Amino acid sequence: MRMPFLSLFMTSPFDGMQEHAEKVKECTCSFKQAIKCYATNDNANLELLKKEIIDMEGQADKIKRRVREHIPKGAIMPVDKFQLFRYLKEQDNVIDAVEHSLKWMSYRDGKDFPPELQDNLIQLVDSVIEVIEELPGMIFETRKYFKTFSNDQRRVAKNIIRGIRAKEHMADIEEDQLKQNAFALQIDPTTLFHCIKLAEIIGSIADHAENAADMTRAMLAR
Amino acid sequence: MAQEYYVLIFGYILGFYMAWNIGANDVANSMASAVGAKAITLRQAIFIAGILNIVGAVFIGSHVTNTIRKGIIAGEVMNDPHVALVGAFSALLAAALWVSFATWKSLPVSTTHSIVGAMIGFGIAAGGFSVIQWGKLGAVVASWVISPVFALAISYVMFRFIVKTILSKKNAFESAIRVSPWLISLALFIIVMSFLFKTPFGKTLSLGLGTACLISLSIAATISALCGKLIKRFVKKRRHGVEGIFRRIQIGTSCYVALAQGANDVANAIGPLAVIYFLVKTGGVGTQVPVPIFLLLFGGVGIACGVAMAGSRVMDTIGTKITTLNNTRGFSVDFAAATTVLIASKFGLPVSTTHAAVGGVLGVGLARGIDAVNFNVIFKIILYWILTVPAAAITSIIIFNILNFIF
Repeated sequence: MRMPFLSLFMTSPFDGMQEHAEKVKECTCSFKQAIKCYATNDNANLELLKKEIIDMEGQADKIKRRVREHIPKGAIMPVDKFQLFRYLKEQDNVIDAVEHSLKWMSYRDGKDFPPELQDNLIQLVDSVIEVIEELPGMIFETRKYFKTFSNDQRRVAKNIIRGIRAKEHMADIEEDQLKQNAFALQIDPTTLFHCIKLAEIIGSIADHAENAADMTRAMLAR
Repeated sequence: MAQEYYVLIFGYILGFYMAWNIGANDVANSMASAVGAKAITLRQAIFIAGILNIVGAVFIGSHVTNTIRKGIIAGEVMNDPHVALVGAFSALLAAALWVSFATWKSLPVSTTHSIVGAMIGFGIAAGGFSVIQWGKLGAVVASWVISPVFALAISYVMFRFIVKTILSKKNAFESAIRVSPWLISLALFIIVMSFLFKTPFGKTLSLGLGTACLISLSIAATISALCGKLIKRFVKKRRHGVEGIFRRIQIGTSCYVALAQGANDVANAIGPLAVIYFLVKTGGVGTQVPVPIFLLLFGGVGIACGVAMAGSRVMDTIGTKITTLNNTRGFSVDFAAATTVLIASKFGLPVSTTHAAVGGVLGVGLARGIDAVNFNVIFKIILYWILTVPAAAITSIIIFNILNFIF
């Protein structure tokens, strides 16, 4: 009854974005455990965790597609539709990169990973996870801004974005450190290549999270 | 005599059916934004809308109804009591059928336009195309465009104004306390003005524009000053915030729309019924007939029944679907709808609250105030608005010819 009037209103795409961000954050716990398993050469558990993360990546993909496919051509939203899509894409790239890094690790046995670099690796992963964990909060506060349009709220959201940039920078430093240390060690080229590439993939996780934050900043622009 | 009673009973059933449809189909207009914004619960909305529709119908509804709604067809066709009786029946049945069909098919249509369309059909069937006042029909067509566009503009401006003067301010709550009495007085001004001009009760007072303005201004100023004090006293920053203030204002505007709806729409169901009633009782009818108060009550109860029985289904969906519409947005929509209806009817355009409400929602959407609005639906809605008049007219012609053949 009178549905055309009601169907003016659609489910908010922000719901899906929030859900997606939560899903991305959810994977950080398994990711950290997986890295530890890798460093300690616990292959059985690593395989389990990898499966878990691939599963989560699939779920996140579904959320992303659900949001994208349910915004009709004539939708009016507080933000540009494509800004929203680009944001989702970057956020999805975060979890894709997590999955990618696990796959890359599994190409070589954990015991081949130089023990001297283990601390570096764990520090890098920690700093990357710190960036990811900001995402749900950022989208939550951004959404709140579109509800209230208050300048204070805008500042809160912008501060989170600033924090993400700073944390991404820290992750960059950790990545550089790991690479530098890897070259300093006299290891065989295959191991070196594997280590460098691994550091780059893990570093890219934080890059994607920062891109998502930049997209959010663009949405907040007046 | 017995046959006449059957006619009357049949008329009552049809009139009730039409009123029921109005309730079922139109309750969303008044209460949608308030329920969507969680200002009131579903149960409260149904209760309030039902009561206010009855009150509006009985106390403000017209006691004299034009036998030909909005003067859209010439009066001569009503001279023959037999034609008038069959015409009233066919118009009522055709309009009710179309609104039912719309309700079933979930199309938003205007009950006023349905009855106008049905009357046109009856006019064509009884007197040919020459009896149609094409100028008046042009006004109906114009209202399809004017009322949504007007409401859109008003709600856009209103929402931008709220954002600029209240929401974006550093101490939004204090700004809201300061600005809201002005908004209340503006809304009250519109409301009192529309009571004086739009409702049949106000029309009997027949005030000039100046006097009406003066009365509205003084009422608005007094009440809004009072409301300002009450808000300061009872709305707390921590607990309610800015939205809490607008929640209270919005309940008022929603109630007004429900009341006005009862007052205006009851004639759609009761007008033709009154014609039937008088033909049966007195055997003749002019261009105007008095409407006994029990018929108005009958219509009001019919609307309330529609609200209670079917309105809940509509509002159930609203409660889950329009959650993105919070109180400041809801107020903007209500305000735009009420203002549009007042101004348009001042110019004699037969506007529909439905059209204005849809326009209002779009306005806030364009001001980027709603999470997501689907513009595509508009074309569908417009199509049904346009379809209403011809569909009701054609149905009315068919029914008129069938009834004419039988009797």
